[in-house]
Amino acid sequence: MSDTGTKLDYRTIVRDGLWDNNVVFAQMLALCPAMAVTTSGTNGLGMGLASTAVLVVANALVAAIRRTVSLQVRIPVFIVLIATLVTMVDMALNAWLHDLYKVLGLFIALIVVNCAILGRAEAFASRNAVLPSVVDGLAMGAGFTLALTAIGLIREFLGSGTLFAQASQLLGPAFAFLEMRPLPDYGGALLMILPPGGFAVLGFLLAGKRALAARRARRAPAGLPQGA
Amino acid sequence: MSQIRASDLIASPHAHDGGSVGLTMRRVMYALTPATLFGLWLYGWPAINLFLVTVASCLVFEFASQRLMGRRASLGDGSALLSGWLLALTLPPWAPWWIGVVGGLIAIVVGKQVFGGLGQNLFNPAMVARVALLVSFPVVMTQWVAPQPLTAPASPGFVAGMRITLTSPPLPDAIASASLLGHAKTELSRGVDLLHAFAAPGAPTPSAAGMRAGSLGEGAALLIVAGGLYLFFAGVIGWQIPVAVLAGIAVPAAIAHGIDPARHLGAAEHLLSGAALLGAFFIATDYVTSPNTAAGQLIFGLGVGLLTWIIRGWGGYPEGMAFAVLLMNALTPVIDRYVKPRILGRRRDGRELAPVQS
Amino acid sequence: MDFDTLRDQLHYQPISLGIVALLASGALSLAYSATKDHIAAAELRDMQTSLAQVMPAGFADNDLLQDTVTLAGARGQPVKVHVAKQAGAATGAVFQVAERGYAGDIVVLMAVDAAGRVLGARVLKHTETPGLGDKIEIAKAPWIESFAGKSLADPAPEKWGVKKDNGVFDQFAGATITPRAVVKAVKGGLEFFAAHRAEILAGGKDGGKS
Repeated sequence: MSDTGTKLDYRTIVRDGLWDNNVVFAQMLALCPAMAVTTSGTNGLGMGLASTAVLVVANALVAAIRRTVSLQVRIPVFIVLIATLVTMVDMALNAWLHDLYKVLGLFIALIVVNCAILGRAEAFASRNAVLPSVVDGLAMGAGFTLALTAIGLIREFLGSGTLFAQASQLLGPAFAFLEMRPLPDYGGALLMILPPGGFAVLGFLLAGKRALAARRARRAPAGLPQGA
Repeated sequence: MSQIRASDLIASPHAHDGGSVGLTMRRVMYALTPATLFGLWLYGWPAINLFLVTVASCLVFEFASQRLMGRRASLGDGSALLSGWLLALTLPPWAPWWIGVVGGLIAIVVGKQVFGGLGQNLFNPAMVARVALLVSFPVVMTQWVAPQPLTAPASPGFVAGMRITLTSPPLPDAIASASLLGHAKTELSRGVDLLHAFAAPGAPTPSAAGMRAGSLGEGAALLIVAGGLYLFFAGVIGWQIPVAVLAGIAVPAAIAHGIDPARHLGAAEHLLSGAALLGAFFIATDYVTSPNTAAGQLIFGLGVGLLTWIIRGWGGYPEGMAFAVLLMNALTPVIDRYVKPRILGRRRDGRELAPVQS
Repeated sequence: MDFDTLRDQLHYQPISLGIVALLASGALSLAYSATKDHIAAAELRDMQTSLAQVMPAGFADNDLLQDTVTLAGARGQPVKVHVAKQAGAATGAVFQVAERGYAGDIVVLMAVDAAGRVLGARVLKHTETPGLGDKIEIAKAPWIESFAGKSLADPAPEKWGVKKDNGVFDQFAGATITPRAVVKAVKGGLEFFAAHRAEILAGGKDGGKS
């Protein structure tokens, strides 16, 4: 299945993407969009979904042409592909989903510089067949979305006291129930929606993930290393 | 201190003057006591409540985070108590209780224990908390009150003080007051020059005795300087950092004021306002976050002073001491790298000295 | 010659990269022509929505986007003025003003009637501190509506300021610079209208752009 000869199983791909090799929490990639847009859960979710869409299509395309592209020019080829895709998504959203575009428009252009996408094209899609690459794109994208939404929700809650504000603009009126204000009197700590708050939240989440991994390693029988 | 194990023994000399972390911290607290008591008297019960809440929450968070890390709690060394104390002195005296609690959380957990505890922190914990609070809650953190001494009839009693700390009702206009630096900044931003701004009735005046609006413990200039001198003569701090900080503020302030008194406050106003004195003697001199060598400390202090003056003059916030201390804290490792202590028998750059010819 | 050998030859690389770039350009130009009209229509709708926000319904019966005059603003910058008309007679104008706030320019869209009264104002763009200065947005607070009905004579010129400066407009707790800038911007807009009233009301008469 894999060009490199290692055996691939889909369960590992999904686990890698969601947790073990999570774009933000394990690979520490794409921190620029992760810090810049996660001022609310809705923004994190929107950025995550848009990135996932580009990631899946980019992975599929790269996997499809992986034997045609020579090693030396693969990076420029991948970049051209990704940039083209992002621009087309940008234009399509602007034309046909204009209200959504007004919420997401800012992030779309940022996807080009999301190194996670080039990273997956290079590390996975250029070595694997189309189907596993699509699964990898979905799993990595879901992990990225999860991470961004989590950071966004924590920052939004601490910083402005709301949860999923403006979610109905992103997902449609049916999702208005997501918009919450758990503490009506809490005005929010401004620092958390400014950039330092993003770094602080990311730091504490990373520490939490490590603590979890360490605990799991302690519980696992000796001689069987586990966790990231 | 724990017992010394045989495996820890290293070559002599082993001279010990009987000092300890706890003793140093205690001396700093003695030095702070007069200014603190004055501040508590000046602003009455709400200030006393806030002070106790801030110090207590620092102790609780220190204990909790050391427990969480599976370490022995070291409340006895007084460092958490001192961080809380210093933080409380830089807060608006009538701030609500949760400012003290959140401040304690930030100072101890984010400012100190995350880095590994006492001695490992890159930034001064009290200043980390002060800056985080100011950026997060700008309205609450810039609400100053005119002095309401405990002995004055207008001062809120114990019950009224509790109400102010717990529920933070809106301040009556008669009590709300601008700090001198804040007044200068607002007036300049609306195009009134300083000569007119301070000629107007009700404008804040600089006061060495501390009878003015400001943070809990920064007002009593004479008492702070006295405490600082005690620390110097007790050998707790060197002269380099305080002198350099004060010079870093006063010299550019005096020059700028001399050139354009309508745009720039004078040296006396700068030194007697905000946290200039408290910062110079008690905050910038923190052992952990300042350079090791005398020359390094001079650079550090001048940087703190100059940055404070620049931030006060051109920054978005009226007071800049806390920001300046944090910025120079970040530079401390660099300063220590370039200004190293001389090793015995070597030059400063590390080359060996030539043997003495006899 | 098999494909693997061909792929490693030097000329294969620029040619393959060129082909990819060509295909990408082709795809982009297709996408552009497919979306161009939709995007233009959507932006037009946006503009109309924001014009409708500052102007009461039924105030104008002309196409505001067509009837415009471009004049020199106070700092010499070009200001595009949309002229509102009813049955061919000019009844007011809509234009943008900008003023420096706490953290960058605040752009305000305002509508003025022929008598020089503010019909409405909305902040289009700003970078003020979230939670403090952003109360100038209609989505966050109704503050911006306090301009409706004001003119250079009401309140008196020295009362055109925030309350802290003895004016009539509220400031926000902890943020004076931002509302002060918006007040200044709107006042500047009224002065601009007063200075160019004749040109504006006569402008757009031929329906053309100047």
